[in-house]
Amino acid sequence: MTPSATAARRSLPNGVGLGLRWEFLEEVLDGPPLDVAFFEVSPENYMRRGGYYPAALERVGQRYPLVTHGLTLSIGGQAPPDTEYVNELKDEVARLASPWHSDHLAVTSSAGRALHELFPLGFTHDTARRVADRLDALADTLGRPVAVENITYYARPAPRELTEEEFLAELFARTRAGLLLDVNNVFVNAKNHGFDARAALAAFPLERVVEVHVAGHTRLASGLLLDTHGAPIAPEVLELLGYALERTGPVPVLLERDNDVPPLATLCAEVRAVRAVCERAWQAESATQESHARSA
Amino acid sequence: MHAALERALVELVHGPPLGPAELAKLAERHALDAESRAGLAAELEQWLVYRTLVRNTLKNALALAIPRTLARLGALFDESFERFLAERGPRTHYLRDVTSELLDFVAPLWRADARVPPWSLDLARHEALEIVVASLADPPAAHELGALDVERGLRFVEAARVVRYDYAVHRLPDSTADRSTPAREPTALFVYRDGEHDVRYLELTPLAADLLEQLLAGVSLKTALVEAAARHAEEPARVLPSVAELLADLAARGALLGAAPDALASRATKLDDAAIGREKGPP
Repeated sequence: MTPSATAARRSLPNGVGLGLRWEFLEEVLDGPPLDVAFFEVSPENYMRRGGYYPAALERVGQRYPLVTHGLTLSIGGQAPPDTEYVNELKDEVARLASPWHSDHLAVTSSAGRALHELFPLGFTHDTARRVADRLDALADTLGRPVAVENITYYARPAPRELTEEEFLAELFARTRAGLLLDVNNVFVNAKNHGFDARAALAAFPLERVVEVHVAGHTRLASGLLLDTHGAPIAPEVLELLGYALERTGPVPVLLERDNDVPPLATLCAEVRAVRAVCERAWQAESATQESHARSA
Repeated sequence: MHAALERALVELVHGPPLGPAELAKLAERHALDAESRAGLAAELEQWLVYRTLVRNTLKNALALAIPRTLARLGALFDESFERFLAERGPRTHYLRDVTSELLDFVAPLWRADARVPPWSLDLARHEALEIVVASLADPPAAHELGALDVERGLRFVEAARVVRYDYAVHRLPDSTADRSTPAREPTALFVYRDGEHDVRYLELTPLAADLLEQLLAGVSLKTALVEAAARHAEEPARVLPSVAELLADLAARGALLGAAPDALASRATKLDDAAIGREKGPP
């Protein structure tokens, strides 16, 4: 049986990583070493292809730790994940020596169609059971731990049997998979659906977190927040990140930027800002642990 | 999410735009239960956000692959794109492959539509080729490659294709603002990825195109030469020098690696004695 994702967590440095984008790939390859703990890549951009990009990624892997984060698994759809895709994914995560593989708690294909967007799944007991079984089967196929990310949902499909927190509790009680906690997604959902982000986040199964994502969002004229990964991280999201990390303790944290990508130097400055938040939060978490130990 | 609701949401997002009246019909078509109907109606505006997100993602991928086709066709392209989404939709996990899926779908539609300029499909295919060839699989582990031998096939780089167009779209300027019309001129190109991972294009004569197509399919050099020459009413011996020059050029470019290993040579078509005799004749 494949080890749990939380057991594999130490395979990646507890620092701040960056989503690898082609816009700055050559700088990463040929420039001086960057103060970035690891790079995260979407395997779909490199799978089933030859040429420059897979070769370049292999070279990046010689300089920095890599972890894979997929986009099209469709773990929550009616149809099970595509076997051919999963088998190719297995080869790719092995090629990149990713310590675990993550994807999203989402529906990304239906009736043979690829949606190329993260559709929400229903928070039901049935879905929790189905997704848990699929995650454990996926880990066995890939031969390494897996994790899933809480997504942004702009609407919620019926039936609504459970809250997201209840759904996650049931899901993670049934699976060995880890939670990839996306703090910006919690924030965006809280604003769009009118709930308290801190309260929701505190009720997540934080002991199962193997990695944290943080990113920027965009506000539409209608007031709706979109999880665009196309802007700097909002100050309120950085605060929420600190709140989350005080509860998770040290974990790898990733800055995602997928649209309107600024120069690499700007992103590295944002990585440093995130790291400052991490260090403060982890010091606070460590102090709390010591205080608990003394009082015990 | 129930299966019926999942299907209904896909139609809502990929299908034609709809308002509250059409929403009731969609719910009916998918036999949605009362809770799902109420949820859809209550959050219709939020569900429609997914229409925008899906279109933005796919359009961005298409704009990267076929920018000049999009710019030239404008609203006509949007119409085809919407029809593709509604009637077929992407099937691939890989965004880079959506362009090929869309072009396969629209090809018969564009050919039958007088509003679409007749060179459009050639231009779109030519633009899309860049990413296709740039992404083709790398060669398998090195084989024992020999010197060229007419009895054997040839081994090319894996990322190599012969493509044919009815219009000389490869000569159009790169600018998306250009609106010049390509000449109607049967065109064949040899397209390959070089050692620096750049995609290169070579314009071929009709005989060279036939020859390289055969060679890429794995037939022996002798068969390819004889058949291509016969198709153009040429004696093999007369065209041999230019063929040798072509192959030497491809070898110098790194596109032609050498003689195919034995496994491929065994696929070569056997020639009859008469054909061999013709090839051995004087220049």
